[in-house]
Amino acid sequence: MPETTGPIGRITRCSTQSFSGAVHPSALSRPAFGAFCQAEDTAGEIKVIGVIYDLRIEDDPLARQMAALEDLPAEQLADAQKNRQAPVEFSALTVGYEQGDRIIYALPPRPPLTLSPVFLLSGQDLLRFTGEASFARLILASPNLPSEQLLAAALRSAIAARPEGDRDRYQLLAGRTVARLLAGDLPRLENVLGALR
Amino acid sequence: MSETPRLDEVFGPARSERPLGQVMEGSLSTGLKVRLDPGFTLERMAVGRYVVILGRQTGITFFGLITDIALEASDPGLIHRPPQADDRLSLDVYLGEVAYGTLHVSPMLMLEADQDQPRPIKTIPTHFSHVYEASAQDVARVFGEEDETHFFVGTPLDMEAVQVNLDLGRFVERSSGVFGKTGTGKSFITRTILAGIVQSGLASTLIFDMHNDYGWSVKDESGRAYKGLRQLFQDGRVSVITLDENTSRARGSKIDGRLTIGYEDLEPEDVEMLASLLGLTDVQTQALYFLHRRLGVDWISRLMSESGEEDELQEMIDSGRIVAGTLGAIRRKFESFFPRMGFLVPGSANQSVDDVFQRLSMGTSVVLEFGNYGNTLAAYVLVANYLTRRIHARYVHLKNLAAGQKAEEPRPLVIVIEEAHKFLDPQVAGHTIFGTIARELRKYNVTLLIVDQRPSGIEDEVMSQVGTRVTCLLDNDADIRAVFSGVSGAGALREVLARLDTRQQALILGHAVPMPVVVRTRDYDQDFYASITGVAAGSASAGESLFGE
Repeated sequence: MPETTGPIGRITRCSTQSFSGAVHPSALSRPAFGAFCQAEDTAGEIKVIGVIYDLRIEDDPLARQMAALEDLPAEQLADAQKNRQAPVEFSALTVGYEQGDRIIYALPPRPPLTLSPVFLLSGQDLLRFTGEASFARLILASPNLPSEQLLAAALRSAIAARPEGDRDRYQLLAGRTVARLLAGDLPRLENVLGALR
Repeated sequence: MSETPRLDEVFGPARSERPLGQVMEGSLSTGLKVRLDPGFTLERMAVGRYVVILGRQTGITFFGLITDIALEASDPGLIHRPPQADDRLSLDVYLGEVAYGTLHVSPMLMLEADQDQPRPIKTIPTHFSHVYEASAQDVARVFGEEDETHFFVGTPLDMEAVQVNLDLGRFVERSSGVFGKTGTGKSFITRTILAGIVQSGLASTLIFDMHNDYGWSVKDESGRAYKGLRQLFQDGRVSVITLDENTSRARGSKIDGRLTIGYEDLEPEDVEMLASLLGLTDVQTQALYFLHRRLGVDWISRLMSESGEEDELQEMIDSGRIVAGTLGAIRRKFESFFPRMGFLVPGSANQSVDDVFQRLSMGTSVVLEFGNYGNTLAAYVLVANYLTRRIHARYVHLKNLAAGQKAEEPRPLVIVIEEAHKFLDPQVAGHTIFGTIARELRKYNVTLLIVDQRPSGIEDEVMSQVGTRVTCLLDNDADIRAVFSGVSGAGALREVLARLDTRQQALILGHAVPMPVVVRTRDYDQDFYASITGVAAGSASAGESLFGE
C-alpha cells in the first residue's frame, strides 16, 4: 500500500495518457499542482503514476447567482463553500507506471480503471519513482499543457520529499536530466530552472 | 597485501575505469571529436596528452593524441542567454549538458587484440566509443624499451615514469631536423641526441659548431656549465677540431686538431654559396668560374695580389673578356673577406679534409669549433660547404666502390648544420651540396641533422624529405607550417606545437618515433652524464671524471 492517509478521490475519465477524477470533500486540501499520484489499471497488475496538472471546480447556475449578489450573507457563503456538493475535479498526466518491481518511465499499456481510488504518492514510493528524473520526458512532451511549470512543480515536490541534506544533490541531478532533454531549447530550460529556484 | 596493489605491481596501475568521453564525430584525415564527460574538468585537459580509444564494435585499441580542446554549446543561443553569474543552479546544470567541452583527438596507432605491436591507423573507432586517458603502460607499450639503438630522449607530458625512446637507427637513416625559436633549447636537445648517436655507434657525426655549443663546456643563461660531447666521450669517440685555436684554448677546450683551408683549395662552387653574404651579383658570380679557369688554382691569391695589376688580368679586361668594374668589385669583396679569415692560408691545405675524413671513417665524431669565426656567417657557410662537398664526394666514391665490392660500405655519417636555412633556402637549395644530401636520403650513407630557428626559410622539397622532426616552441605561422610540410594530419598538431613551453619541451614526430609525441626533454645533468659514461652520478670518482679530463 502506498504511504498515504487515504485516497484523494476516484477516477471518472481516463486514457493511457492521462486520467481525471473528483476529489473527496475530505481531501480537498491534499492534491496540488505538480503532486504525484497513482491508480491501478483494470487488471490490477500495474500502478499508473501521474502528475496532477489541473484542479478545477465547475460552476452552476446557483453559484453564478450567488456570486452576482452584492451582499452575500456569511452564513450562505459558508454553507455554499463547505456543505454544498460542488465537485472539485483533478486531472493528472501519466508519467510512468510500476509493474511488479519495475518502474517504467513510459505510457502504460492500459489506463486505470474507472472509479479506481487515486492516492497521492509519498514517502518511499515517491522517492523511488523520482529517483531518476526520467519522468520529465513525458511531461515535456505533452502538448497543450504548461509543461515547464508542471515539470518544475513536480520536481519541487520530489525535492521536498527528500531529506534536507540530499536536496541540493537531487536538484542538480534532476536539473541535468532536464538540461539533457532541453539541450537544444534554452528558453524552455530557463523556464523550468527559473520556476525551480 | 590486497589484490589490487599486487596486480598493479605486475601489470601497472589499471586504466581509469571512467572514460574521459565518447567519440562523437570525425574522420581519419581530420581526427576525432570527443565529447568530454561532465565528470572531468576541461581545465585539467592538455594538448599533447595521449588517450586510448576502445573501438566499440571491434575492441581494437586506438592510440591518439589530444590536439585541441574546445568549448561547445548544444544551443547556439547560449552565447546570447548565458546564465547569470549568481545563478548557481543554472551554472551547475548547464555545465556538461548545455555547455560542454570537446577534445580533438588525432588517432595515430591501432592495436588489434591478436597483435603485440601497434601499427599506423587505417580506420577509426566508431561513434560513442569510449575514450580513456592513456596509462603509463599504454604509452610505454608504444615507445618500447631503451636499448642499444633506442635512446631515451624525454618523457611524455605528465608521465615522468615513461621513457620516450628515439629509434636512432631510423633517426640517422634519413635527414632529420631540430627546430625551435631562439632560446627554446635546440642546442641542448641536439647535444642530447648526438650523445645518443655517438654512444650507439650507429653513425659518425660531423658537427659544424657555429656557437661552440657541442664540443666542450657550454654555459646556459644562468651561467651554469654543461659538458660538451668531447668531455662525455673521453675515449676518442669525439674529436674537437677548431678553426680558431686561440678562442678554443681561451675557453679551455681540449682540441684534437686545427682546420685550415688553403686558398688554392677553394673552388668557385665554394665561393658561390657566399654570393648573397658577400653581395656578389649574378654576373660577378658567373665571372668567378671564368677567373678560376683562366687564373688556375691560385686564382684567389692572384685576385687579391697587391703587387700591382697582373698582366693576365689586364689582358682579360683589354680583350673584353671581363668588365673592369666586375673584376674590381670581385677583388674588393674578396679583399674585405678572405684576409680576415685566419683559417684560410696561402697554398694548399688539403690534408685537413683528409684528417676529418679519416676520423669519420674510423667512427670518430668530429666537432668543428668555429670560435670567433662563428660570428661571421660567411665563414660558417664557406667552411661547412667546403668540407661537406669534399667529404660527400668521398662517400659517393666509396659507396660506388662498395657497390662493385671493391671496398667496404662507408660508415653512416650525420652532418649537423646550424642556421640551415642559409644553406637550404629555395634560392640555393637546388644546387648546393646540402640540398643534394637532403634529397638523396640514405643513398650514400650521408644524412643531415638540420638545426634551425626558421624552418620556413628552408625549401619545401628539402623539408618534406626530413624524416624526423624534433620541434621546440615555434610561434610564427610560416615556420609552423613548414615544420609540418609533408606530414599527414598535421593541421591538428599545429595547435600542440604552438603551445609548447618555452623550455625543455619538444614535439617529436616522424621516422624515428612510432607516433608524434610531446616530450619534456631529458635533463642534461649529472644523471645524463652518468648514463652516457656508465659511471654512477653519485660516486666520488665519478665527480672528478665527469668534470675534468
